[in-house]
Amino acid sequence: MNASSKSIKILLVEDVKINRMVMRMMVKSLGLEMEEAEDGQKAVDYFVGGKKADVVLMDRDMPIMNGHEATRQLRSMGVETPIIVLSADDSQSNRDVFLQAGADEFLQSKPPSRKELVDVLTKYGLY
Amino acid sequence: MASMNPKERRDAFADSMIAEGLLDQQFNQLLMLEEDGGGFLVEVIKLFCDDSERMISELSSLIDQPVVDFQKVGSFVHQLKGSSSSIGAHNIMVACMHFRQFCEQNDKQGCFRALNAVKNEYYRLQAKFNILVQLSREC
Repeated sequence: MNASSKSIKILLVEDVKINRMVMRMMVKSLGLEMEEAEDGQKAVDYFVGGKKADVVLMDRDMPIMNGHEATRQLRSMGVETPIIVLSADDSQSNRDVFLQAGADEFLQSKPPSRKELVDVLTKYGLY
Repeated sequence: MASMNPKERRDAFADSMIAEGLLDQQFNQLLMLEEDGGGFLVEVIKLFCDDSERMISELSSLIDQPVVDFQKVGSFVHQLKGSSSSIGAHNIMVACMHFRQFCEQNDKQGCFRALNAVKNEYYRLQAKFNILVQLSREC
C-alpha cells in the first residue's frame, strides 16, 4: 500500500514549533496528511471532538499534559489508533511507562529519519 | 566555488558546516526536504534563530534571579535541545545536555557556565546560518 492508494491521516502531538514544521515537511513529502496538537490535552480533545486519525505520533515532554498521560487517557477513552512515541529519551523506564500507558511503538530518534517514519508506517499498513 | 551554481554553493557551504561539527546529518535531511518545497529551509532557520534567541534571553533572566527556578530552566533547556535536534545543531544540542545535568543538580554556577557555552555555540552557528540563508535565497 502507498500514500496514493489510501488517504492516511497522522496526528502529531508535539509542543515545539520547529519540530512540528520539520515533521510537516517530511509527512508532506510522503504525500500524507497531518494534523497537529500542541500538547497532550489538545490530542485528547481532538478525539473527544469526534475527529479521527490513522496514527498518532506522540512526544513525551509537553506543557499542560505530557505524552504519558495523553496516551493513558486516549486508551481509557477507547481510542485504538496506533500510538507511536517520538522521544529522545530511550531509557527503559520511559519505554515502560509509555507501553503501560498503551503506546504501540517507540522511535528513539527525534526527529525520525524519513526511512524510520516510512518503516513504522509500513509496519502498521499505513504506507 | 566561483564555478558552482547557487544550489551547489549552498550545499557546499552546508557540507562545510557539517564537516566543522556545527551541524549533523539531520541538516542533510532538511536539505532534501527543501527540494520539495521552496523556502522551507530559510523559514526553518529563521524560526530556529528566533526561538533560540527568545529561549536564551529567558534562560539568562531566570539564572540571574536570586533563587533559580531550576525546573523552569530545565524546561527551556529541553525545548532548546529539541529544536536544535530538529535542525541538526549538534554542538548546541550537546551543550544543552550538559546544561540539563546542572539543572538536575540545582547547580547555579554550573548552569551559568552552561548557558555561556550554549550562547557561544549559538552565536557561532547563527553567523554561519546568515551566510547559508543568503546562499539559499540565491537558489
